[in-house]
Amino acid sequence: MADALNDQIRNFILENYLFTNDTKALGLDDSLLGRGIVDSTGMLEIIFFIEEQLGVKVKDEEMIPDNLDSVNKIAAFVSSKRRAA
Amino acid sequence: MHPSIVQHFEETAARSGAAVALHWRGTRWTYDDLSRAIAAAASGFRERAPERGGRVALLLRNSPQYVALYYGALTAGLVAVPLNAQERASVLIRQIEHCEARILAGSTDHPEWPALSQAAASAGCTVIAIAPRDDDSSLDQFVRDVGGQGTPFADRPKSDELASIIYTSGTTGRPKGVMLSHGNLAANSAAIIKYLALTPADRGLCVLPFHFSYGNSVLHTHLLAGAELVIEDNLAFPHLTVQRMQAEAITGFAGVPSTFALLLGRVNFKEHDLSKLRYLTQAGGGMAKPLIERLRAELPHVALFIMYGQTEATARLSYLPAEDLAEKLGSVGLPVDGIEIQVQLDGRPVKSGEIGEICARGASIMQGYWKDPAATREVLRDGWLRTGDLGHLDEDGYLFIDGRTVDMIKVGAFRVSPQEVEEVIAAVPGVEEVCAAAMPDELLGQAVKAVIVKRAGADVDERAVKAYCRQNLAAYKVPKLVEFVSVMPRTASGKIQRFKLA
Repeated sequence: MADALNDQIRNFILENYLFTNDTKALGLDDSLLGRGIVDSTGMLEIIFFIEEQLGVKVKDEEMIPDNLDSVNKIAAFVSSKRRAA
Repeated sequence: MHPSIVQHFEETAARSGAAVALHWRGTRWTYDDLSRAIAAAASGFRERAPERGGRVALLLRNSPQYVALYYGALTAGLVAVPLNAQERASVLIRQIEHCEARILAGSTDHPEWPALSQAAASAGCTVIAIAPRDDDSSLDQFVRDVGGQGTPFADRPKSDELASIIYTSGTTGRPKGVMLSHGNLAANSAAIIKYLALTPADRGLCVLPFHFSYGNSVLHTHLLAGAELVIEDNLAFPHLTVQRMQAEAITGFAGVPSTFALLLGRVNFKEHDLSKLRYLTQAGGGMAKPLIERLRAELPHVALFIMYGQTEATARLSYLPAEDLAEKLGSVGLPVDGIEIQVQLDGRPVKSGEIGEICARGASIMQGYWKDPAATREVLRDGWLRTGDLGHLDEDGYLFIDGRTVDMIKVGAFRVSPQEVEEVIAAVPGVEEVCAAAMPDELLGQAVKAVIVKRAGADVDERAVKAYCRQNLAAYKVPKLVEFVSVMPRTASGKIQRFKLA
């Protein structure tokens, strides 16, 4: 289940920011900001994806690097929100 | 007036020694710390490039280390060439070759560093690798990295000497390096400090990149005023940025229109104590009146300065005094100290209210474009800088912008050359013809759109084009939309009508 969520998140980023299917292009722990994959507007689009496609509301105070700056961090954040719901 | 920001900084540092100059992540450098770092960088550079005027290319994101390297280069009588930290190595290599850099100093954690440092070394550049620590070890690590032996030198920069080259968005084949003298930087910084009334009591927050002229001016003005500058380099988490404004008792913040759109869209200012915030500055393109009015409504106690300028004028040409904002909403204000502005048609000034090209002259106008006298003659004529912007002056002498005379696409804080995007896409197999144009974007102002005519029978799609662009262009230059057409709109003489594709 966790792997499926990671894959869904990674595929979204590969599709919309790197325009490739090659999973080797993005490590699950790669910093999206540090690697220059995502900028400020890109981060907003990721939040939109989390809310619209993963069904998890992102509060303003939850927009922090620990929750959003890598595939694994996004997956962990989404999973914990789903468990709490 | 100081001949250079070097002398101005030294005078400020002598007064402000123990005060914090720069705050970045977990590290704070006082003015004394920064002076020590600058001296180390200056002697490190001078020992590797003893001839005055040698170019030092810098590849670092916003950080105290960047600042020390920049001032170190100027102190050593060399020329700082800050590279766009978002750009690809292939473009930066061309800029390093173009400016004939003697030294490349950069951050080992930059994604393009391995490719760039190797290419620079092959081209005969001396490479200095900086490990960008962000804790208590940052200063000592920096001094070790630059490796200067403390060589003393007596020559101080003169106002007409070249201090910096800033590359603006030109085509891939023709980078345009704006040459700024020590006098240019000193004059423009002094003018801005004056109208913002910056003092050592100020604490600015900078999210704008130092390697572009706006961020460059925010950096110099705060340092020269003896203020503290809190450094970030992105606005990816706007809530955290505003939290920081509260936590650090920030007194001033600089942004471009998309900065404020992002903040207003994602953060409720009323949930934060921003009572210490006294000024906001806005440049980097026209901000829509509704956005200005929202900002004033959210932060009524803060002085909002709408400003205008360009790299060719160091940074700032005009500013609208905050107290005039209500009456002159839509204007970019009055010339800054040391600058004269005229609106011209065919080289002659027009009457108030009439639209023409905005021209400027004065102490902060560039020396020209590096190794490009033809391009220089295009914009510096008869003693005036031709900005490429259309505008008019009202009867009180307040300047209003009416558009641009050239095709640049303004994506957030960045300017994108359509020609540069076209050159890249033209190399995609299956592309017969391509034209890049601006399309409106709610957040960024404009985004890049690429319109393509495919070769007969070619199998090329939007994703393939975007992937190729991603490999070869900075991320903000990648088209947001790719469309395919059977024929491009053209004039009678065969020229593509770019404006019809927007």
